Amino acid sequence: MQRFLDPSVLAGISSLDLLAKTVVDGFVAGLHRSPDFGFSQEFAEYRAYTPGDDLRHVDWNLFARTERCYLKRYRGETNSQLTVLLDASNSMQYTSGPPMKMDYARYIAASLFYLAIHNQRDAAGLIVFDDEVREYIRPSTRQGQMARLFAGLERAEPHARTDFAKPLVHFQNFLQRRGIAIIISDFYEDPETIVRAIEPLRFHGNEVVLFHVLDPQEIRPVMKGSAVLVDLETDQRIEVVPEYAKTTYRTKVDAHIEELRTRTQAAGMDYQLLTTNQPLDAALREYLTMRKAGN
Amino acid sequence: MGFLAPWFMGGLAALSVPVFVHLLRKHISIPRPVSSLMFFERGTQSSTRHRRLRYLLLFALRFALLLLVVLAFANPFVRRAAADTNGRTLLIVLDNSFSMRAGTRFADAKQKALAQLAAKTHSQKAQIMAFGGQLEVMTQPIDDDAQLRAALESIQPGDGHANFGELGRAIRTMSETVHGPIDLHLFSDMQHSAMPANFADMVLPGNVTLRLHPVAEGVAPPNWTVESVDAPAELSDPKDPKRSRVQAVVAGFGTPAASKSVSLLVNGKVIASKKVDVPANGRATVEFAPLDVGYGFNRCAVRIEGGDTFPADDAGDFVVRRSDPERILFVHAAGDPRSALYFDAALQAAAHASFVLQSVAAEQATDLDPSKYAFVVLSDTVVLPSIFEHALAQNVAKGGSVLIALGTDAAHHAQIPLWGGSAKDAHDYARSGSVATVGQVDFNYPALEQENPGRDNGGWAEVKVFYTVVVDPAQARVEARLTDGTPLLLEKQMGEGHLLLLTSGLENLTNDLPLHPVFVAFVDQTARYLSGSERLSGSRLVDSFVALRAAADPVGSVANVEVIDPDGRRPLSLSEARTVESFRLQRAGYYQIRFADGRDAVIGVNPDRRESDLEPMAQDVQQLWSGSSGSGATQTTDAVPVEGKTRPVSLWWYVMLFALVVALAETALASGYMGTQREEV
Repeated sequence: MQRFLDPSVLAGISSLDLLAKTVVDGFVAGLHRSPDFGFSQEFAEYRAYTPGDDLRHVDWNLFARTERCYLKRYRGETNSQLTVLLDASNSMQYTSGPPMKMDYARYIAASLFYLAIHNQRDAAGLIVFDDEVREYIRPSTRQGQMARLFAGLERAEPHARTDFAKPLVHFQNFLQRRGIAIIISDFYEDPETIVRAIEPLRFHGNEVVLFHVLDPQEIRPVMKGSAVLVDLETDQRIEVVPEYAKTTYRTKVDAHIEELRTRTQAAGMDYQLLTTNQPLDAALREYLTMRKAGN
Repeated sequence: MGFLAPWFMGGLAALSVPVFVHLLRKHISIPRPVSSLMFFERGTQSSTRHRRLRYLLLFALRFALLLLVVLAFANPFVRRAAADTNGRTLLIVLDNSFSMRAGTRFADAKQKALAQLAAKTHSQKAQIMAFGGQLEVMTQPIDDDAQLRAALESIQPGDGHANFGELGRAIRTMSETVHGPIDLHLFSDMQHSAMPANFADMVLPGNVTLRLHPVAEGVAPPNWTVESVDAPAELSDPKDPKRSRVQAVVAGFGTPAASKSVSLLVNGKVIASKKVDVPANGRATVEFAPLDVGYGFNRCAVRIEGGDTFPADDAGDFVVRRSDPERILFVHAAGDPRSALYFDAALQAAAHASFVLQSVAAEQATDLDPSKYAFVVLSDTVVLPSIFEHALAQNVAKGGSVLIALGTDAAHHAQIPLWGGSAKDAHDYARSGSVATVGQVDFNYPALEQENPGRDNGGWAEVKVFYTVVVDPAQARVEARLTDGTPLLLEKQMGEGHLLLLTSGLENLTNDLPLHPVFVAFVDQTARYLSGSERLSGSRLVDSFVALRAAADPVGSVANVEVIDPDGRRPLSLSEARTVESFRLQRAGYYQIRFADGRDAVIGVNPDRRESDLEPMAQDVQQLWSGSSGSGATQTTDAVPVEGKTRPVSLWWYVMLFALVVALAETALASGYMGTQREEV
């Protein structure tokens, strides 16, 4: 199984559909009961009508017999909603070797979608953003949703720069229903800013997971002599010496990761660091764990 | 400074490579994209500056390496004085002959020699020699300045007689082994009397350049000396007017006519003084008689009182040994009393020796002890009593001597007593109606010695020989021959002793030798030679040799000899005292010697009186000598600096060595630079 989840192997698979199927079929799959009530055929209980309830759910037969107004509730099989917020800024196109961070993020997203829709029958949606929301696919379980999501992922090419503050305003509008929000990004931003931007999602009852995707070279960069480095988002150039990359940079990155982890966990969010040479199962396991905890 | 292969300088074009690589080539760095510069800082300045410095150092090393390699191929050279580099050997010869004791000659010469040595370049090889009575090699050709200087400092003035002919011969011999050019610097007073009879003896070989450094300037100072002393070495009767006298010749060199006071000293005490008028540049004889000395060895000297510029030669030393007359055993055939008569008459006529002849017939010699006699004469005694013959042989082996004269009886007996050989034949010239005369005579032989033999072969040409016994010389040395080649006088060594064989008789039947004056001289010299008294006292010249023992000593009976020089030191080591056969008398003064046969001697040793003539060689002769040597370079009166002849010395080896060092430094620096690129991940 591990072999099929190896990112370098997955990079050879061009179809996201097949890729997601390969990943997820190789992963643990299973249905479980939803803790939330839905609107399917299996009856769960009656609940007294309170003003504002949808009249369509009133059991009129019972009302006719008892003249009491009850709502009929059913136990639904799929009522979780997965929304993947994919960072498609320019920094995501960095790579020191296949796969690119963006591709790795796509693999994760595709696998999650496949797992959610095909195996869990959850509703899944996608938000692609950089400094603003570039694409939004509403979470749904409808026929063809998987294809739409995959198409959305295909279209998500790195572009512009990351800005969490602007698109997050829109996120709150899109995510009015509770669910799982997974943010896949490299998070090149101040951790406080990130947490402050994402925190509102959590207030809406969403389980928020941050998948921090980084290239191994971004954590432990190897430099042969001094080099001119170009920022992929800003095009800014500076000359950096290997000694700095070996020492100070690593300290700073580690501190950044640690602070991000600490702050997100303090805000009730989950954080998962993923490097592009890691297998995808870590991400899937995180999702399932999160989903189980939600039940 | 120059280049032996300047066309290799074209390789300097290669220097453009490091210039291009390090200075002209633009450093191309491909920008490297990163996700964010959020965690990067600009930290390049100090590092780049440091690296630029390293680059510049690396560039300098590479530049220097290429430059040095090109220079090495171009073969740079420097010009150095030819004296250093041409392999010329500096040969310093310091004259330490007796005449160098005059004034400050020796000190001046040594000072100049030291200055010449100091002027030598460090790498040049030099050799030090002392030139007195004989050439003494102080060092081999070496370049150790300290050792050379020490050798030069150790030379002390000697008492020998310098001879430039000897110097020339020694240098010619040396040049056969040393093939390189030699700069010979001679520091000497350039005495005229040191010149050999033949100028050709002084000429030096072609590879030797002679530079003379005369230390005696101007006219030679006047000098009186005791030129010769004629005194008896042995004296038995001080009242004998013929023998008990001392004749000394006082000579003046460059002197005006003067009256000099001359003293005779015996054992340090003046026993007589006389005034003598010495003409200008002339000689005068002074005689002291009688010579009253005690028994034993008496150290005598004739001294000129008053002194002069060269006081060292104002005395002539000699030793007189007073003893009772020595006996000579004369053994003759029963019917031959005539030979003893002639021999005794000749012995009494001789002036110097004091011998008493004891004549006996052969048959009566049985009980005689030969060791009690100075020597033994066997006159035509073909048969000896066996006891006496045995005792005589033992005596000869221990140092005794025998004169054997063969008369007419010898031809009838094959065996010659003691001699060891046999008579082969006899030449009876009288019977054939002719006579033989003496053809060859070795006048250097002590028994026949004559300084200037006359045209009549020193008197021997008149001698007629009627009868001789023919003897095979075998190991004997022939000292005189007849005109037909028949040996007349032979000498053979036997143990420590000598055997002298006269192949004719001592009477007037076999020859008429006893009738000629030369017979007296012959008997006198033979007696002195065979008795050994000649070598026990008297005087010798410096650098003469004294035979201490016979050449072939039997193993197991080695006797020590002992020599005490004028300073009271023993110049012979213990091992030398057991083996040495002869000894050179190097110093002036009195030598005490004990020979291997146990006899003691005291000998007065005087410098060669030619050293007293301080007249230097004429200037033109000096120039002729130096001009005839080697490259024909002339000399002047002072140290002549070496001409400005130079020769190129290649430096490529040093340049390559330096290039190697630079290459190693470049490798170390470059590998260090590369090492920073191999960072750990």
